[in-house]
Amino acid sequence: MTQPAGAPEQNLARQVRLEVERTIQRGLRGLDYVTGGDPAVGLTPKTSIWSRGTLKLYHYHAQADEVYRLPLVLVMSLVSKPYILDLAPGQSLVEFLVKKGFDVYMIDWGVPRPEDCRLRLEDYVLDFLPECLDKVARDSGESEASIVGYCMGGLLASMYAALHTEGPLRNLVCFTTPIDFDGMGLFKRWTDPRHFDVDRIVDSLGNVPPELLYASFNLLRPVSQAVGRVQLWDNLWNDRFVESYRRFDRWAADQIPFPGECFRQTTKELQQENKLVKKEFLLGGRRIDLAEIKVPLLHVVAEHDHIVPYDASRALVPMVGSEDKTEVMLKGGHVSLVAGANAVNRLWPRIEAWLSERSL
Amino acid sequence: MSDAKQPPRDSNDPFAVWRDWLVQSERQWNGMLNEMMASDQFAQSMGRWMELYLGAQKSVNESLGRALAGLGVPNRDDVAELGQRLSAIEERLARIETLVERGTGVSAASTERRRPPRTRKPPAAKPPASRPPASPTRE
Repeated sequence: MTQPAGAPEQNLARQVRLEVERTIQRGLRGLDYVTGGDPAVGLTPKTSIWSRGTLKLYHYHAQADEVYRLPLVLVMSLVSKPYILDLAPGQSLVEFLVKKGFDVYMIDWGVPRPEDCRLRLEDYVLDFLPECLDKVARDSGESEASIVGYCMGGLLASMYAALHTEGPLRNLVCFTTPIDFDGMGLFKRWTDPRHFDVDRIVDSLGNVPPELLYASFNLLRPVSQAVGRVQLWDNLWNDRFVESYRRFDRWAADQIPFPGECFRQTTKELQQENKLVKKEFLLGGRRIDLAEIKVPLLHVVAEHDHIVPYDASRALVPMVGSEDKTEVMLKGGHVSLVAGANAVNRLWPRIEAWLSERSL
Repeated sequence: MSDAKQPPRDSNDPFAVWRDWLVQSERQWNGMLNEMMASDQFAQSMGRWMELYLGAQKSVNESLGRALAGLGVPNRDDVAELGQRLSAIEERLARIETLVERGTGVSAASTERRRPPRTRKPPAAKPPASRPPASPTRE
């Protein structure tokens, strides 16, 4: 196709005009960005059906005429807030699942209080999780359930599944779940026992402060925060980009403390000694062998996950004893896998397809 | 990189080169700094920094604690102790609630929610494959 005479000049003029308009918009909206409050998150309607300490068990209101028989319980990580799974209408895994006819519950561990520094993994895996599933069974009237665990939530769910083989768990879905801690890259290096005195940290601080966790996550990609700010400025004219950026930024900065004893246990026994993979990890005196997991398992990992690299997550599927087990690697990072713009086309339909035929 | 989605590139955009450069630079710098941070020396420096941080925290807490004690105001440990006692009460209440629920079969939060029938079937109802491949699939 031949271009009409003068086309390059017209294009240039159009681009200059566009850039001038965007620069004006950047100025105007930059002010809105700075003065605007936090964006609303976690808007899918829900009811808190049980609480214990900081823990809250939510039930999301049904939005379909029929639901699948099995309830679905979302288990979050201990180091971040659960609204990443329910960021905003249209950008919410929870909303998607509810609309697709799943009966969704969510375990929100809450923000640990100073006195929660005594909580250990035993409390989460042998006490809180079973009690939540008991409450779900009573609330739903169903004796079985599926669990979806994200990041460390997947780790807790896997430990639970290995120690509770008689039910009520029917299906297990894990996202980016660390199992082989030798594959944790920089975290593994930084927690080297020769330099990292976890006892002193926990004994001095109790819970690990969120600022430390935030700084260590940021250090994994030290330049990205600054580049993100430049990209924000570049796209300030674009409302959709700015809204999405604000929600992610709010969540990333909204870190919560890590319960101290749990941090000590995770650092020493998992991060430093890698006991789970060696089948030497004990909870409440019981050895955890992932081969004891026999329920159907779906493990979704992210190709560009810098927080839980594939080297750390790849061990889950080979180690479990389920006959029906699948690992899927999707494009994306640790967070964009579950809540990014592409999650709607990649992860969510995949979960729906896998779970729907196993939730009858 | 931000998790917010970048708008599609316009081929006539004079800033496209700069944007590509920004993304490439980010990758290169992150990669380079990650290599540096993977060294033993860096882990050692982090350990030293952490010791300094803990030392500073300790002296701040001690002097603050002394000041609060002088004013007759509870310090962090006092508040934590109070929190522990409240947690113990919450635990007891939770246990009582569970026992009541088990005894009566009625949950405190079981009302006022729509309960559709649990009869939903998958869109294309087909039984799950008995033994799907365990090897990873990439998409």
